[in-house]
Amino acid sequence: MRVGLGWLSEWVDLPASREELEDRLTVGGLEIEEVIQMGPSLDGLVVGHVRQRVQHPDADRLSVCTVDLGGEAPVEIVCGAPNVAAGQAVAVAPHGTVLPDGTKIKRGRIRGVKSNGMICSSRELGLGDDHDGILVLETDAAAGTPLAEAMPPGETVLDMEITPNRGDWVSMLGMAREVRAHYGGALRMPDEEPPEDGPPAADAISVAIDDGAGCHRYVARIVRDVRVGPSPAWLVDRLEAAGLRPVNNVVDVTNLVMLEYGQPLHAFDLERLRGGQIGVRAAHAAEKIETLDGEVRELLPEDLLIVDGEGPVAVAGVMGGADSEVSDATTALLIESAHFEPSRVRRTARRLGLHSDASYRFERGVDPEGQARAADRAARLIQEIAGGTVAKGRVEALGETPARTAEIVLDPARANRLLGTALSGAEMVALLGRVDVEASEQADGSLRCTPPSYRNDLHLPVDLVEEVARIYGYGEIDEAMPEGTLGGISEPPDRSLREAVRDALVGAGLVEVMTFPASPPDDADALRLPEDDPRRPTLQLVNPITSNEPTLRATVVPGLLRLVRGNLARQVDRFTLFELSRVFRPGEGLPAEPLEAAAAVVDAGEVDLWGAGAPVFFQAKGMGERLFAQLEVEARFEPGGSEPFLHPGACGTFRVGSQDVASVGEIHPEVAARFDIETPTALLVVDVAGLLAVPRRRPHLEEVSRHPHVRRDLAVLLDRGVAAGEVLEAIRKRGGGSLRSARVFDRYEGKGVPEGKVSLAFRLVFQRADRTLLDSEVSKAVDRVVHLLEERFGGELR
Amino acid sequence: MSTADELARILEEAGVAFEAAGSLQDLRETRARFLGKKGTVTAALRSLGGLPADERALAGQQVNRTKGEVEALFEARKAALERSARSRDLAEHRLDVTLPGAAPPRGHLHPIARVERDMCAFFRTLGYSIEDGPEVETDFHNFGALNFPEDHPARDLQDTIFVEGGNLLRTHTSNVQIRAMTGREPPFRFVAPGRVYRHDLDATHYPMFHQIEAFCVGEDVTFAHLKGTLYAFARHLFGQDARVRFRAHFFPFTEPSAEMDVTWGEGWLEWGGCGMIHPKVLANCGIDPDRWQGFAFGMAIDRTAMLRYGIGNIRHLFDGDVRVLEQL
Repeated sequence: MRVGLGWLSEWVDLPASREELEDRLTVGGLEIEEVIQMGPSLDGLVVGHVRQRVQHPDADRLSVCTVDLGGEAPVEIVCGAPNVAAGQAVAVAPHGTVLPDGTKIKRGRIRGVKSNGMICSSRELGLGDDHDGILVLETDAAAGTPLAEAMPPGETVLDMEITPNRGDWVSMLGMAREVRAHYGGALRMPDEEPPEDGPPAADAISVAIDDGAGCHRYVARIVRDVRVGPSPAWLVDRLEAAGLRPVNNVVDVTNLVMLEYGQPLHAFDLERLRGGQIGVRAAHAAEKIETLDGEVRELLPEDLLIVDGEGPVAVAGVMGGADSEVSDATTALLIESAHFEPSRVRRTARRLGLHSDASYRFERGVDPEGQARAADRAARLIQEIAGGTVAKGRVEALGETPARTAEIVLDPARANRLLGTALSGAEMVALLGRVDVEASEQADGSLRCTPPSYRNDLHLPVDLVEEVARIYGYGEIDEAMPEGTLGGISEPPDRSLREAVRDALVGAGLVEVMTFPASPPDDADALRLPEDDPRRPTLQLVNPITSNEPTLRATVVPGLLRLVRGNLARQVDRFTLFELSRVFRPGEGLPAEPLEAAAAVVDAGEVDLWGAGAPVFFQAKGMGERLFAQLEVEARFEPGGSEPFLHPGACGTFRVGSQDVASVGEIHPEVAARFDIETPTALLVVDVAGLLAVPRRRPHLEEVSRHPHVRRDLAVLLDRGVAAGEVLEAIRKRGGGSLRSARVFDRYEGKGVPEGKVSLAFRLVFQRADRTLLDSEVSKAVDRVVHLLEERFGGELR
Repeated sequence: MSTADELARILEEAGVAFEAAGSLQDLRETRARFLGKKGTVTAALRSLGGLPADERALAGQQVNRTKGEVEALFEARKAALERSARSRDLAEHRLDVTLPGAAPPRGHLHPIARVERDMCAFFRTLGYSIEDGPEVETDFHNFGALNFPEDHPARDLQDTIFVEGGNLLRTHTSNVQIRAMTGREPPFRFVAPGRVYRHDLDATHYPMFHQIEAFCVGEDVTFAHLKGTLYAFARHLFGQDARVRFRAHFFPFTEPSAEMDVTWGEGWLEWGGCGMIHPKVLANCGIDPDRWQGFAFGMAIDRTAMLRYGIGNIRHLFDGDVRVLEQL
């Protein structure tokens, strides 16, 4: 809502400091979004004093003026206006000035005479339509004074956000009341009473309310013999400052009065209303009306219509009909000022997508007792501006009385208990009085309070507590901390697990990302998910942000792959990412929202000084190993897996018992192609929700041996198809009770190793807790292992 | 030659030989010539057995003295050699220490996760429990129970993203108030950080953001406590000099309601909404509003993270640009 401060100052005294006013209103609940300065920009323009005017030697209509611009010497300006004369103060655009319409003024010659700028008319300054001559300034300002300082300033407009509970604020009257609540003083109401020179209005029209629940009051005023035409400048300025477009003097007055009182009005062409009657009823099913904007609207029975003797003439509170619109030919008017049920107007406006200044106010609630006053004011102004005769009296009909809270009992002790204040009953009465709530202290200390008719948001004692606090000032209330421990302390069961997963992945060097969970409908196909995959069904969004992402993701994998692609496109080609998020799986009622984590390792394999950079698969697998080690979950790695988006030849699964807890692998080439990823990429996908059910192993100390260990390294030639993991497993089983650890520390194929073979190097460490091992014992164990390698795996010691 | 002469010769030889040894390895080998199994000193010791008993004691003393002297010569030379090796190392070992360290890769927690943890840690110290709620939510939990009337413009404030089947993406974390309070007996204090959604996308809005909800209910929990708690929270996050401001506002689920701003540079930053829980909301959760009262607030996590880490563009939080996230 845009409020001109000059206009507001006609209604109520404003504090001297605009900043102070803005702060006070803001803290009181009127957030100021923007301060707008109305009027054209006069940058660069200056006041000039015309010293001399002589006829242009070669042009009858031009004169050559010598103008003092405050510089060392006056300058010559050629001027075409008949009214320019020596001794005038004028608005001058010197060389280089840009006028409000965008014209750039340049030095030049006009019919052979040098001209150093332009003397401006009102229109050229954007100050009006007057182009008959130059603007002669009524100012004492010295020559050269910036024009902006010499002209009366344009209106300063505060654009404020109005919270939806305060329909009463959406008017000058409401703003004036709010200022008065903070600063005191008296309201100055405009003149309302119209001169009633015409025959009784009731002779011209009858009003009937058929739907009394939808329309509580309908007031009509009749004005005849008006002349429809353009509005005067002051009226246009006010509408424009408020952000409204001027139409004609009649419509403009109805809009102005709406801005003044918050009461939407509608003017009908009286002669277009059929049957001498007007009324309010619910629409019939499939009834149609052509609205002012030229659209034909089909209505439902819940919609409220204004009807004449034959049919609909307006959608109540939303928009007038085209047939009864005020036109240039209109001479007789019916001014409607009514009170409609807010929820009815809102439903209709929403369904029809018609959000007008009227529906905005009706939805938020207008003063149910303000109709007569606004109709009077409009009739008076129309008579003043468009002439004509106001018919005697108002024609009025009443529907049901709207529900209203007449009295609220406020217990000051309860109010203080809620606020943490120590205000007396009398102080509260005074504070409430400033917002027109009549309160009186009763013998038992309670306050009986009557809110004003325009406050449809005050129903409960707490609503009054807020008003007390608001006017007292939120800033005035003390600060304190709640005392004691309130109840036991708990956490959601998955929170610590979620944070532990996060820590482990970050600890493994990954970068965490977060993404919006909407996804394209074909993600399941892009991941090659089978028909029965639980990640295939997705929830549809009714109003997605973008039409190509209409579903809620059931897995974080595709989003992560898109980010991989995005980073590759930004020339980052060695990175790791992970996302840990809820995903959405439709079910009965609300969807399940299990936690899922996915990590991507992307490595173009660039040269690294310190020789890091294992193949992406092993980086990802290592992250999985690290994750489960850190989570203290004993997960076993098994080659192969069922994830269709992983490469079948380069994937594996982490399992706990029979439960799959994570998958790891290079991305499937089809998936890589689908997501346009050409750089080696591996994924680790963790079912975090599933991990909740998995036992965590508490670390348990095994005493370290005091006896020395013995290390033996074995290099073995094996067929390429032999899996190192299986060999290790077998070594551990056969190595005997003294074998403390066995691992692969080298793998080599190429020169010196026969085709189809690979050399694997194992490091075995032997140690006993109770005594030092004998050399012969170790040799025997190693022999057993060598025998195993030869017999079972066809190995050959190198 | 007398034993004494013999021993003197050995000692002299050892002195010369040790001095001639250029390395510790040489020195150890040289030592073996005198003190090893086949060394001359060892031989002299062995030869003692062949002497008559009366000479043996004296000769024994002489041989052992010589052995000790040879040992001492060896130790002295060894020490000298070690010293010179260290000096050489100190003089010659030069590492290009400007080469990069072989650090393990550093991971990066998302800035929102960092701020959320910091916020939760703060509230843990104040005795708050942490609670969670669904992101796909019913109209009842997101609006109805929070005192949003049907067909009221208050619903327009929250551009809702709807999900098929009549549910919606929660527009605020206040749904957790309803879920946590229903069936619970006050007093209690909760915080609920989480993700919320609005149908809003432009230069300064993203359709997803994060809030931390807090609510505290007891018999005498006041607006003053709300202010005190939020002041303390703001100072924890923005420093002891942070200034805050409470502006009257409207939320259907609090009364009185306020928005809270914190100072940022020259101006104020809107940080979140707060107020005293509306009696109807308490009643909707089965809590007697005549006996119990409390405050609630929902503060912006994303905006806090943006301020704290100097992130100017909200999209940086959600577009997964490694170049950005690796700096944070």
